[in-house]
Order: sequence, then structure tokens, then C-alpha cells
Amino acid sequence: MICGFDTNDGKRLFVLLFLCCMLVGMSMWAVTLGMMRISPFTVWNALFSFDGSREHLLVTTIRLPRVLAGLVAGSALAVSGAIMQAVTNNPLASPGLLGINAGAAFAVVLMMTFFGAGTGDVYMWFAFCGAGCAALFVYALGSFGPAGHSTTGLILAGAIVATFLTALTSAVLIFDQSTLDAVRLWTAGSLAGRTTAQVAAVAPYILTGLIAAFFLARHLVTLSLGADAARSLGQNPMVWRAVAIAIVILLAGSAVALAGPIGFVGLIVPHIARLTVGVDYRWILPFCAIGGALLVIAADTAGRMVFASQSFPVGVTIALIGAPFFLWLARNRAGEAV
Amino acid sequence: MSAKLAGQQVSIAYGEQRIVENLDLIVPQRRFTALVGPNGSGKSTILRALAGLMAPTKGTILLDGRSIDILSTKEMAKRVGVLLQGPVAPEGLTVRDLVKQGRYPHRSLFGRWSAEHEAACEDAMMLTGTTTLADTPLERLSGGQRQRAWIAMTLAQQGEVLLLDEPTTYLDLAHQIELMNLITKLVRDHGKTVIAVLHDLNQAARYAEHIVMLKGGKITAAGRPEHVISEAAIADVFGVHSVIIRDPVAGTPLCVPL
Amino acid sequence: MRLTTLLVVLLLGLVAASLALGDISLSWRDLLETLSGSPDATPQNAMIVFDLRLPRLLLALLVGAALATAGTIMLAVMRNPLAEPGVLGINSGAAAAVMAVIVLMPRPPVVLLPIAGFVGAVVMAAAVYLLAWRNGTSSLRIILIGIGLGALASAITTFLSAFGEIGDVQRAMIWLAGSVYEADMVKVRLLFFWLILPMAFAWISSRELDVIRFGDNSARSLGQPVDLVRGLMIVLCTLISGAAVAAAGLIGFVGLVAPHIASRLVGPSHARIFPVAALSGAILVMASDLLGRLALAPVQLPAGIVTALIGAPFFAYLLWGRQHARG
Repeated sequence: MICGFDTNDGKRLFVLLFLCCMLVGMSMWAVTLGMMRISPFTVWNALFSFDGSREHLLVTTIRLPRVLAGLVAGSALAVSGAIMQAVTNNPLASPGLLGINAGAAFAVVLMMTFFGAGTGDVYMWFAFCGAGCAALFVYALGSFGPAGHSTTGLILAGAIVATFLTALTSAVLIFDQSTLDAVRLWTAGSLAGRTTAQVAAVAPYILTGLIAAFFLARHLVTLSLGADAARSLGQNPMVWRAVAIAIVILLAGSAVALAGPIGFVGLIVPHIARLTVGVDYRWILPFCAIGGALLVIAADTAGRMVFASQSFPVGVTIALIGAPFFLWLARNRAGEAV
Repeated sequence: MSAKLAGQQVSIAYGEQRIVENLDLIVPQRRFTALVGPNGSGKSTILRALAGLMAPTKGTILLDGRSIDILSTKEMAKRVGVLLQGPVAPEGLTVRDLVKQGRYPHRSLFGRWSAEHEAACEDAMMLTGTTTLADTPLERLSGGQRQRAWIAMTLAQQGEVLLLDEPTTYLDLAHQIELMNLITKLVRDHGKTVIAVLHDLNQAARYAEHIVMLKGGKITAAGRPEHVISEAAIADVFGVHSVIIRDPVAGTPLCVPL
Repeated sequence: MRLTTLLVVLLLGLVAASLALGDISLSWRDLLETLSGSPDATPQNAMIVFDLRLPRLLLALLVGAALATAGTIMLAVMRNPLAEPGVLGINSGAAAAVMAVIVLMPRPPVVLLPIAGFVGAVVMAAAVYLLAWRNGTSSLRIILIGIGLGALASAITTFLSAFGEIGDVQRAMIWLAGSVYEADMVKVRLLFFWLILPMAFAWISSRELDVIRFGDNSARSLGQPVDLVRGLMIVLCTLISGAAVAAAGLIGFVGLVAPHIASRLVGPSHARIFPVAALSGAILVMASDLLGRLALAPVQLPAGIVTALIGAPFFAYLLWGRQHARG
């Protein structure tokens, strides 16, 4: 923004900085919590003067990867949700609408049925490929078919593909108990047992996606006016929609590969962002990146604390925390002008 | 000249945002009343309140001197027909299907479709010149034809009062004039009371018998066109400098912006 | 009229095929003899036809017609092409309730499952409607609240399925997948008498649906008490689809596709949409069950999965074909 720094921007910047501090604090706290309390001081030492003690090992191999996984998955999902809502011009859109969750789940289930339960790394690549293929197919069906160029086409295509893949997935699962047993925690969305290597494997994609998303922000504002208005403003909506979808696939595909299909983050964080910082995507996207990470880490930590279980699926806690807020939002904000 | 519809000390708000405050409005019986004013002056909101589609936060709307609160929605619809801006119809609906919906308030749950209903629909389509389009789906019509089909639906309600929100938008000049003549005919020959939100000041001055001029949710002037339309009033309400001349044909005031 | 005849003929063909085909297939002559009760019919054939296949067939027919009717109501009331009874949280509520009963109770009696499903569905629908009420309702608010509450219920289902005993979870999943396996004449009769009033009432109210579809303002200006009608319609829809879910689990996509098919075939008047949608829904579920029974025999695919597998591509074709035709 060339035109200076007005008070509104100052307020937004303050909110953003406040959230950053919250996020840092929350992440630190999350690392210290667990069966064994570890002081922040020890965490610091584990990071910068590692001595191979049990506590240091716990921090670097279990606690830290888990928090990092929540961090990248949360911001990726929230940002891709905001992009989806801008592109489809529909407040109900989320990355799941591109068939990403259904595709990832189907690929993982298929892999297990044919090759048996593999390691976490193998899951990840199958999930990523499944998500990517499903999303590309939805995009192709939604824009290059005869229905083309309309966001309604994209939404319906997503709903159809997701339903189809979900039906196939449950067709496999109801006959294959061992796969069901192996996959059920994954489908609930979980951060348990993620390794640094896994986080490192998707981090480049997510970082690329996030950086690209921030460059896209200005175009998203134009795109969210609808295809006709965008075209009349000199934007080629087809090109930018394709770019936006590519970024969503990169971000949400990686996030789902890492943490499983966590649905709700991508739906509600953008709404919270819009209520807090307004309609400008140059503010919404950073807010989503930080807010999404914060929500996922907070939900995961809450799950670990309250249920005293390391494998409590973060997807469930997010819905438990996020849904009441979303309900409040819908009750108070929606349908006023009807 | 008695009041058909009236608003007494009416205040209307969307949530926190107050649109209209303490408004007193009189709509004379068997007259064509035009609501004019700049964008955002509350014209459409007032029209909705008069139609009973929006409850005022304060004050009452009177129909024939009695509060409309005691009327059921059905009773209200039998007496007052409304056409809002940009109504949407389901795909595939034909003009006849649409006009038939206008008979809804006159039918009970098990009421059969009778000759009387059929006659009301035929009359409505004839008056609006949509008879030949009866079996065409709405989405195949031009904007003007579609507008006339919707007006036919409100006419099929056979209420004494007709409320129209910017009915001439989308219409070409010929159809605008035709619609204005139709309204004149409804008022003169069928004894209807018509209230319309109009954007075209000169159109309002030429056809309406009573003009209510609004600014910021308040009435700045009301009365016969020649009393309401003045250079000072237009400068005040629209912020436009103009001269008022006599319409060479109708003799009504004609506003020419400078 | 010709169209309805065609659908009825298709339905009768499916009835005959469903009665004749299966693990033990009967010849047409055997089937005719059994049906007419001729002395040549073997008791074994009579048992297969009357005790096994007929109840299952009738259940599929009723469930399909019920889901299609409920879907038609939702489509008109919500004015959203993606609206189906699931929008009210009926499916997620039933799923959470059934999952809870199967996973949490040591040995739940089989009769409890439909009851749990129905109660879950009704409670969710009521909660969605009540939470969406704020000086009247709006379609958008109902849809959003439905999504929010649905997510909560799904979280409960996910939680239970992640930590429940694996055999229980699988049993719950099979029940939820939607099937007409466990059909008997008692169930069929019960469902029939339960459905007949709400479905008849829905059909009688066709005219109300014709009007409410125009949107709140237009409907209200025509004199419709919109909130009352919407509330009543939601009650009807809950009664109908809740019963269908209780009888057969979650059979998806029928409530979405059948009304679209019907309105494409017979136009926008609900008096005509209802019967055609009900017929199409019945045909879809019966065909899915037959296919699921035969395709991978002796393994039986639940009808709910097959409806999604054939319904989704068909819906795609319908939408894309239509947009194409409009040019």
C-alpha cells in the first residue's frame, strides 16, 4: 500500500503483532506441556546447546516436530481457505470443496488396502498425490467443461467429486477392518508422531505457497468481485483463478498430507479474519496464516491437556472449539439483509 | 381526498442503522403517488414498510385508517400488491405460472382453481400486454417483458393498492410510457391507489398526482407536482442546480438541470 | 403423463428384476408361478420371493420415495441447488447417535439403532431450526447453522470412531452406509404408515412451495406467512427423512438428485414435481440395491454407497448437459 499509514492500518498491524506474540507464546507453552513438564529454559538449551539428554531428545524429536507440524498445517489451511472463499465468492467454500480431503483420504485408504499399512512418510506422499489429483480433476471439470467459467460449476464439481470419492472410500472401509483400524486416526486429523523429516518434506511447498499467496492478495480482491467485474477492470480472471487454485492445491494438499483432513480451520479462520481486519486480502491472508497456526496449536494442546492423550485427534478439538464460535457468527451476522 | 395508506411517526432501522425517523406520510386514495429522492433517501425502505414487509421499530402504518398489524399476511396481500426490485423466479417458470401465483392469497389450502381466478389472470395479462407470452418461460424474456410479467402477477392479486419499486427500470421508452399509462388507467378506471418509487423526476411530475420528496429519511415536500417540484427543492434534495419549465405537452413542471 | 407412465414401467421392470435376480435366480416362469401362488411353485421359491426379496424391495421403494420427497421440500424452502435434508443436520445427527449407541453401549439391541438414528436426526433438526430463529428465520442462516452444528456432531462421530472398539466402529459404519439388508414386512408396514400422512401433506402443500421458492419478500407480499410455512415444511421434511434414515441408514444423494431430475422433466410446479421425484427416488434406490447385490456377489455393497457412486456421475451429467443445452 503506497498511500501511507492510516490509523486503521495501525490497528490492524497491532492486531497482527499481538497474534504473532500469542503464537510464539502458545508454541513455547505447547512444547513445555506434556506427561513430563519441561521448563522453557531446557527447551532453549535443547535447541541451541543440545546435549543428548532424555529431555532434550523429547523436545527435539517429539514435542517440537508436533508443534511445527501444527504451525505449518494451520497456516496453510487457513490461507488456502481464504483463497477459496475469494475465488468462489462463496462464504461456505473451503479447501475441502476442491475435493482435497476426499482425494487424500481415498488415496491413503487405497494404498493401505493394496500395500498394507506403511510408515508415516508413505502416507504423506499418497495423501498429497490424492489431494492434488482430486483437486485438478475438480478444477478441470469445473472450468473446462461446458459449464465453464462460472464459480457455480466449480462448487458443484467439487461437491460431486467429493461425494463420489467418499462413497468409494467407505465402500473399501466397511469391508476391510484392518485398513479401517489403521486409517481412522489419520482421517480424524492428527499431529501425533510427526517427525522433523516429515515437516521438512512439506515445508518448502507450504512456504512457496504462502509467499505466492501474499503476492496474489491484490489480485484476490479484484477476483472476489466476480468474473465480469474482474474482466472489466482488466484482470484475466481465468488466469488468476488458475493461479489461485494452484496455490490452494499446494498449500492444502501439503497440510492434509502432513496432518490429515482437518476441515474446519479453512472454513472459519477466514471468517474471523474478515470480521477483524475487513475485506482487504492483503490483511486477511497474513491474519489467516497466523490465526490458523494459532488455532491448530491451541486445539492440539487443549486436546493433549484435557484428554491427557497424545493421540487425541486435533480435528475433533478444532471442531469443538471452532463450531460454537462459527455458530455465534452465523446467528449474529448471517441473513441480516435478507 | 382521504388517506388510503398512512404512516404515523414511523421509524425504521436495519439493526443499528436508522433509515427513517418519525416519518408522517399520507398516501391519498385513488391517486398515483410517486416517491422521489436521491439514492439512500429511504424510498424503498418506506415502500417495504407500507407493504408490511418490514415492521417499523416505532409508529404504525394505517390502511384505511386501521393499523396493518391486525391484518394477517394473507389479508394484507388481498388488499395490497407489491413489486420489489429484482425479484427472482425459479427456472422454467412460464408467464402464466407466475401470474397464477398472484391468486395465492385468494385461495385456501384446499381451494380449487376457479373461473374467477382464471379471469383475474387473463385480465392481468391483457392489461400488461403479456397474453401472447403466457407460455414462454421467464428466462427467455427480455428485461422489459419480464418486468411486465411480474406486474401482471401483482395485478392478479386484485388489491386496491399497488406498490411498485422502480417499475420502469429495464424498460425501454415505449414500455415506460405504456406502463405509466397503465398506472393512470388503473387509478382512473379501476379505482386503484398506486405508489411507485420513481427515479425519473420528470416522469413522476408528468404522471403522478401526488409527489413525496424524500431526503435522508425525511419528507422535504409532499403534494401536487407543481407545488413540490421547484428549483429550490431540487437544489436542496439532489444538490443539482436546474430550471423548471412547463412541459410543452402535459403542462406539468419539467426539470432541466443546468 | 407419458413420462410418468414410462417411469412406472421402469419401476415395475425393476420390481420384477429385483424379485427374480440374486444368489439364486428364478426364471420368469418360476417367478410368475410363485407370485400367482400356483400349486407348481416350490416353497423354497416362495420363501425367497416373499420373505427375503419382497420386503427388501418395498423398503428400498419407500425409502427412495421418502428421501426424494424430503429433498424436494428442502430444495424449495432453502432455494439453494445444493440443499438436501442433510442441510438440517439430519444425517450428521443420526450418525452421531447411532455411533454413540453402538460404541458406548455394551450390547445394544438391534431395535435400538433405528430409534437412535431417528432421535438423533430429529434433535439435530430441531436444534438447527431453533438456533437459526432470530425474529424469524432465513434460509442462509439455517444453512450456516446446519453446517456449524453438523461439524460438531461429526466431531463426536469422528471421536467415537477413532477410539471405539474396531469391530463396533465397523458395524456402525456399515449401518450408516445406508442399506436395506435387514428388511422385513413389519418394518415395511411401520414405515409405510409413518410416511403416508407427512408425504400426503407435503403433496397437498405444493402450492405453498411454489410460492415460498420466490424468496421471502416476494412470498410475503403474496400473503404467505413465510416463517410459519418454512417451519411446517421443515417439520415435514424431518419426519420424512428422519424415518427414512432410521429405516435404512444414510442413503446419500437421492434427496439431492431426484428433485433435480423431476424438475427438469416436468417443470417448476410442485404438484407435478412431487410424484415424479418420488418415483425417480424409488427407482434410484431400488436400482442401487439391486446393483449392490449383484455387482460383487456374494459380497453385498450397501445401497447408500451405490446411490452415491451412480448418482454423482449422473448428477454431473445432468448439470453439465443442462448448461450445455442452454448454450
